[in-house]
Amino acid sequence: MLLHLLKKLLLAIPILWLLGTAVFLLSRTLPGSFGEERFLNPEAGFYSKSSQSSREAAWEQLQQKTGQHLPLFYFSISSAALPDTLQNVQPSARKEQLQQLAIKYGNWPAISAFDLQVEKLVKALEIYPAKGASKSLQDLRYSTNISDLQKAINKLSKLGTSPAVASLAVAVSEKIEALNINQSSYTYLVPRITWNGTVNQYHHWLVGILTGDFSTSYRTSQPVLEMILEGIGNTFLLLLCSMVVTLILALELSILMAKKKLQWLRRLLLPALFAIDSIPMLVLAILLLVLLANPDFIQLFPVYGMGYYQPINLSFWQNLSMRLQFMALPLIALVLVNLPYITNQIYTSLQASLQADYTRTARAKGLPEHLVIRRHALRNALLPIITIVSDFIPALVSGSILIETIYAIPGVGRLLVESVMARDYPVLVAIILFVLLLRMVAYALADAAYFWADPRMKQKTA
Amino acid sequence: MRQFWQSILHLWEAKPGFKAAAAYLMLLLLLALSLPWLPLPYPPNYLDLAHPYLPPFKDIVHPLGTDGLGRDLLSNVLYGARTSFMISVPVMLFATAIGMLLGTTAGFFGNDSLQQPRYSVLFWLLSFPAVLYFAVYLPLQVYQLEMELTYIILPVAALTGWLLLMWLLLNALQRFVPFLKLKMAIPIDKVVMRLTEALTSIPRFVLILALASFIPPSLFMLSLLLIFTIWPATARLSRAEMLRIKQLPYFEAACSIGNRPFQLIWRHALPNLAGPILIAFTFGLGGLLTLESTLSFLNIGVPTSLVSWGRTISGIRSNTSAWWLVVFPGGLLSLTIMALYTCSYYFTQVFSQKGRR
Repeated sequence: MLLHLLKKLLLAIPILWLLGTAVFLLSRTLPGSFGEERFLNPEAGFYSKSSQSSREAAWEQLQQKTGQHLPLFYFSISSAALPDTLQNVQPSARKEQLQQLAIKYGNWPAISAFDLQVEKLVKALEIYPAKGASKSLQDLRYSTNISDLQKAINKLSKLGTSPAVASLAVAVSEKIEALNINQSSYTYLVPRITWNGTVNQYHHWLVGILTGDFSTSYRTSQPVLEMILEGIGNTFLLLLCSMVVTLILALELSILMAKKKLQWLRRLLLPALFAIDSIPMLVLAILLLVLLANPDFIQLFPVYGMGYYQPINLSFWQNLSMRLQFMALPLIALVLVNLPYITNQIYTSLQASLQADYTRTARAKGLPEHLVIRRHALRNALLPIITIVSDFIPALVSGSILIETIYAIPGVGRLLVESVMARDYPVLVAIILFVLLLRMVAYALADAAYFWADPRMKQKTA
Repeated sequence: MRQFWQSILHLWEAKPGFKAAAAYLMLLLLLALSLPWLPLPYPPNYLDLAHPYLPPFKDIVHPLGTDGLGRDLLSNVLYGARTSFMISVPVMLFATAIGMLLGTTAGFFGNDSLQQPRYSVLFWLLSFPAVLYFAVYLPLQVYQLEMELTYIILPVAALTGWLLLMWLLLNALQRFVPFLKLKMAIPIDKVVMRLTEALTSIPRFVLILALASFIPPSLFMLSLLLIFTIWPATARLSRAEMLRIKQLPYFEAACSIGNRPFQLIWRHALPNLAGPILIAFTFGLGGLLTLESTLSFLNIGVPTSLVSWGRTISGIRSNTSAWWLVVFPGGLLSLTIMALYTCSYYFTQVFSQKGRR
């Protein structure tokens, strides 16, 4: 039994590793990294007072700090025309120019020589400014066509500026000419594989996780593990309470519905459950919020959060009752959303076992109906329920994400939504790993529960 | 297939509940499709800043009131229906198609029916990275840089040339190396099942949230993402149904006549599959509507300019007494989902009885 459980958990590790790796790699390869728009967008509010160069410097510093400047994986594949160093060119408009030139003309040394020469020209023009040079300079910096570049540099040299600038302009036009002659337009079709060794983001991440270090959040610079541990208590309390309440309610309801005398209840309850089932959790949760925690309608419950301003020295029960006040509304929402499905499943399985022979025997013995249902039918109906419950956990997790966001409960679900909004990948990946782990544990527990509920299973595996 | 349509027609005539639900759905769909030609007082994104949070039934110009920025609720609710259908119906169609394709192939061939000579397996294995590089990586790079079309055509041409060359080479090679000629079984069932397991091991909502944070918010990318996460359900269902159909006498007879696999699946298995798939389709559509409005409520993965029920509902966060922001879109959403579930329920009654018989 224990061995069986252990084997299951060990088998889960490769899946955990594979999925974690996939999520990690995806999170880093897709465009748009954390804070990029906030740091580099000149119109973005908070950083707008600074100059372009200081923004870039801050961005670079952040990249260095979070290790995002390193290559992603042990090896990388790119086009032979595009060098690795291109990734660090800023601003992005210039990076785009260089990338396009690289793809079009293939010859990277010539392009980088041209770029260096332009850089010098720009510096020289800052010292000896010339009228009307800015337009040509703009072209030189951002256009991606050799003929356009040539036109721009010709215009610039005709302006008649200081000799230093003129000589530099000649040098630039030479470089353009060199690029024109030595272009190799098909280089970008050839792939190039580079080996990065262990100095890469993935290796650091994996080693960190294996040693229990989940790195720090980009957003708050807090250790990720700490952030998750802060929220996990609230989430677990919510999940556990709602699961227990839902199960008890579902069991009792289906027992009531199974009774012959209470047919009218069945006729009333089933459509009601059907109707509740078709209200999405989003609408249900907000409706509850609007109706029951609103001074305009009925102010029954506190609205948001988990009560931040509570006295410190409370006994356990006082603390619990404080929390329950805040938990009540989210709990009701979660229970209502999950109740129809679970009740339906349990009721169907109970119906099936009420048709079975042993139930008829029990009835023939003259047992009262509630004992027949509770002692004989329910025990056998429990087996499918275990599966339902273990499948129910992911639904609960997804439900708690939305509920925590709507009711502003500081839990893991809200953390997930916040880190998705901020593209805070370390937190995101850690939460996904955590959810996976939870699911594996749930499956293992379900297996154990099977053993407990069905003695036949023991014989099968033994 | 004719029987399939007939049983739906029969449902329409015999069950008033089904009739009501289906008629409602069709009307809503028609309304959503014809919206651009309807004379609505305001377009959904028009900001009537003079009238924020106007309660419903107070003003003739804004019959259902306005939200915090003075956007007309009536046109927002109607256009929200349009957006919901525009996202969920194509997504569900594509996901069902992909799921059915993979599921039926997996169920039909199992682990050892699909036999291929080694050299062609080798060819597929070798061509996969080439396709990834030439047909995905390079075009994406070029597309991001907004370069001319020739730079996309060129890699694709190179890819075709390369694949052709490799195919000829391997074909020539297999004449001399008998090892390459041997047939091997492709465990397609295992592959598909592992894929679905991997995708379903994370709760779908968590997976979508995580993936949505990686992609730039746009309708197209969101649809792709939804398709990617939804197909396993249909794949599992159609695989299970395929396994059941494979055991039926008529199918064995069709096999023994010597029909080709494609014909077997298309002509003989598909009509029997249609019922369960339809049930899953209507049910999944309801789930998708919920998912879409939840995502737009959280403002994850959708552009802010997208008119949707979720966006309208999220207006309640800044003013909890504006109940009309929840009641109208939420009510319509719930009603639509209930209609879908009702259809699904009646389909279940008809089609799973037939399966048992």
